[in-house]
Amino acid sequence: MTDGEIRELCHRFFDAYQDRRVDELAELYAPDCIVWHNVFGREQSGADNLAALPKSYEGQRRRTYDDRTIDTFEGGFVIRYTLAGVQHSGHRGALWICIVALCRDGRITRIDEYMDSSKFAAWAGRGPASGRAS
Amino acid sequence: MTDRELRELCTRYFDAIERRDVDAVAGMYAPGFTFWVNLTGAESSREENLATLREGYALLRRRTYDDRRIDTFATGFLARYSVNVVQHGGRRGSFAACIVALCKDGRITHIDEYLDSSKFRAPAGEA
Repeated sequence: MTDGEIRELCHRFFDAYQDRRVDELAELYAPDCIVWHNVFGREQSGADNLAALPKSYEGQRRRTYDDRTIDTFEGGFVIRYTLAGVQHSGHRGALWICIVALCRDGRITRIDEYMDSSKFAAWAGRGPASGRAS
Repeated sequence: MTDRELRELCTRYFDAIERRDVDAVAGMYAPGFTFWVNLTGAESSREENLATLREGYALLRRRTYDDRRIDTFATGFLARYSVNVVQHGGRRGSFAACIVALCKDGRITHIDEYLDSSKFRAPAGEA
């Protein structure tokens, strides 16, 4: 895949994620896609990851994936971004996250996600204001 | 910088941090180097980062950067790795992290580091 194709795939992925288009995400994941999170330290299948999304979306009124800084390398991309969330209470929070994605034939074959779980409570408006308000 | 030069710089960087060679690390940082970490969202200067490195060494008996997976892009490198630490009391811990480094003329100009601070509090061996 070319640099342009990988960048386009990255944007399609995050646009679909933010707009809650799970069907489109399913098209962007390769059949054998694996998703790994540094918080849990374990892998899950792309199918399991997608299955959990509708429930996950219920937690917030809105999520946007902002400040995207994308770099591509041979076989994938790394993206640094701000996940801005608006809770149903109106509370706003932001998390800084980095994703490394491996890509093949126009699809994502693996995602490694890095974030700080200590910020989750503040992001959701449940804990001390240690998270950045957006 | 070429792919090979970036990979070599990345490897030299982690090797120097492991062996506590702060002078070598300083030599790899460009004069205007800045360091950002997702734990604070704050950017620190070259000298501040080097001071943090020195202070951090006193807290642990050993710290190694293992399972390094390096990818390079036009202006820098990405490294995913496991940090394995041994405290002075012998307790061990491990956590996964990644850095994105921007490079120019053989030196690192900026680093963004992503990790999970909750792993610092996990009992040794469960991080």
